[in-house]
Amino acid sequence: MPLIKYLRKTYTSFTTRIYDVPPRMFAFLSLIMLSLLPFMGIPITTLQVLIRINFMATLAVSWDFLVRSGQASLGHALFFGVGAYGTALLFKYLGYPPFITIPLSVLICVGIALLIGFSCLRVKGPYLAIVTFAFPLVLTGVVKYFPELGKDAGIKNLPRIFPTLAYTERWLAEYYLTFALMAISAIILYKIAYSKTGAIFVAILDDELATKACGINVSKYRIMAFIISGLFAGLAGAIAAHSDLFMRRASPIYLSAQYSLIPILVSVLGGMATIYGPLFGTYIYTLIDSFILKEMLNIDDWTRSLIFVSIVLVLLIKWPRGIGRTIVEKLEDLEEPREIEEILKEKGKKG
Amino acid sequence: MMDIIILGTISGLIYALIALGFSLIYGVSGVINLTHGAFIMIGAYIFGELNKIFLSTLPMEFSYLFPILAILSTAILTAVIGSIYYRLTLHQVLGDEVAILIISLFGCLIFQQIIYLIFKPVWAAQYPVPTLLTGELTLLGVRVEVDRAVAAILSIIFFIGLLVFTSRTKVGNALRALSQDLEAAMLMGIDPAKMFMLAAGIAAGLASVGSILKLTSYAEPASAFMWAEYMAYAFSIVILGGLGSIKGTVIGGLIFGYTDAIVSTRFPQAGALMPIFPSVIMIIILIVRPKGFFGKRIEME
Repeated sequence: MPLIKYLRKTYTSFTTRIYDVPPRMFAFLSLIMLSLLPFMGIPITTLQVLIRINFMATLAVSWDFLVRSGQASLGHALFFGVGAYGTALLFKYLGYPPFITIPLSVLICVGIALLIGFSCLRVKGPYLAIVTFAFPLVLTGVVKYFPELGKDAGIKNLPRIFPTLAYTERWLAEYYLTFALMAISAIILYKIAYSKTGAIFVAILDDELATKACGINVSKYRIMAFIISGLFAGLAGAIAAHSDLFMRRASPIYLSAQYSLIPILVSVLGGMATIYGPLFGTYIYTLIDSFILKEMLNIDDWTRSLIFVSIVLVLLIKWPRGIGRTIVEKLEDLEEPREIEEILKEKGKKG
Repeated sequence: MMDIIILGTISGLIYALIALGFSLIYGVSGVINLTHGAFIMIGAYIFGELNKIFLSTLPMEFSYLFPILAILSTAILTAVIGSIYYRLTLHQVLGDEVAILIISLFGCLIFQQIIYLIFKPVWAAQYPVPTLLTGELTLLGVRVEVDRAVAAILSIIFFIGLLVFTSRTKVGNALRALSQDLEAAMLMGIDPAKMFMLAAGIAAGLASVGSILKLTSYAEPASAFMWAEYMAYAFSIVILGGLGSIKGTVIGGLIFGYTDAIVSTRFPQAGALMPIFPSVIMIIILIVRPKGFFGKRIEME
């Protein structure tokens, strides 16, 4: 009964610690609030924005997890796209229902992540970032070339995950599905990142040679980080391909630079390499973007993204800790043994 | 066979000119400046606009001088933009290589957005760059457009000019000194901030000239989104020839040119796959030789 034991332990630690640690309280309350949000009579358009947030947050959290292991990737859209195309191709050529194609395409993603993680073992730092940036470009070219992969239009008319529901209920179901996706992947990734394994990831980020000298198989952990990160990003992609928000199709848009860059943008806003930072960042970004700038001030898409990219550029240069992270540190009053940013900076200076 | 050699050499030299600035700034300051792609893009736009302004304001008797004037002023303008951009963003995080990558990538987006806002959807997607010369000439039995030949010759002039500049002039020697030993160079009274700005400016200027030559001679429209493709070209050419080496960049560019010529003359049906060629080269080289083709950053010749 290790599962029950684990659950009980988690429950006790949850009930005893949640009142002491304000950020946990905050996270718990916002989870409850977000799960009740659809009952507060919000319009469908707002619900769509929230569904989008859920996808973006999953992507961002999985990107952030990879950064924590010292492997900054500039091409996270690859996993998003592979997840979407995997499920779409399985449906198109084998005709399986979503409940089979989604897990299978996640498996494909894991395979791709294993392949990339393995082949990039020797590539480090900025060179790894460049290689990962090139992967989605290659895949985009391949997808646009072969008519079997749908070319520019992509593969259309994928089935819905819940086919029988009416219009409003469908959006509600989609919201809860993506909300569960976001919450579960964030919790799992947070648990891994702050566990013993996660400590090894940070150790690799800090000093790979010293970690090796401690008898830790660095290669194994680097590949592991890639696989875990790719799994969640691929799951998000696979579900996105079946969602009404993404028009139920797999297209080259999934592989475009915006899905590689938005995770970075929101992570910088919220605080890099913290797992909770990107979550916070996604909400901040989308709330300001869609509700304040778009609805209230009526600014067009291009000006808005210019504003955000400029903000992030300034933040990266002047305030690399991010907003969410600063707040949490103020609240928790924690002193981490060594800051991730310091490690990153030192590494840069050495190299 | 002859056509591959001549066409490949011409397009290879132009490719190398596009990548030259990228190599220069890496050699001098060790910065992988991905915003190079954005300077390639804005160069074409500035050139097109200046050409229009000159045609409408200056007397028509000197119309044959307009293109030269436009190219020169575009190069200077882009150089100023490039060095100011470098000083404001990348110089602040010097040493943190991953942050430089991320910041320079976001820099590309900023330029893309600005171009889009100025030129609005239609022109941002397809902006025609004026052609400068028309006509064809026969070179060793191969028909070549005049503007391409001129562009290749201009590229050679720029390579030689840069080589002479870095090896013969005092400022060029200062740049080389910085690439060899930063601290020793600083002890000799060289101000790295100014020199890096200069290198970034030259890099941006070369990028704009390269993009003008490429786009006018191949009659391709400019677009606000072209930076990604050209950045991939520049990076893979530079990494093929060895990061930071001017001669290596030319060799890398020529390899690209010959591949381009072979594909376009012998296997035209595979032409649609050409855009992924630089990315594939990039992935293969970095995976096989993780720090570029020569294993380490080599000094500028």
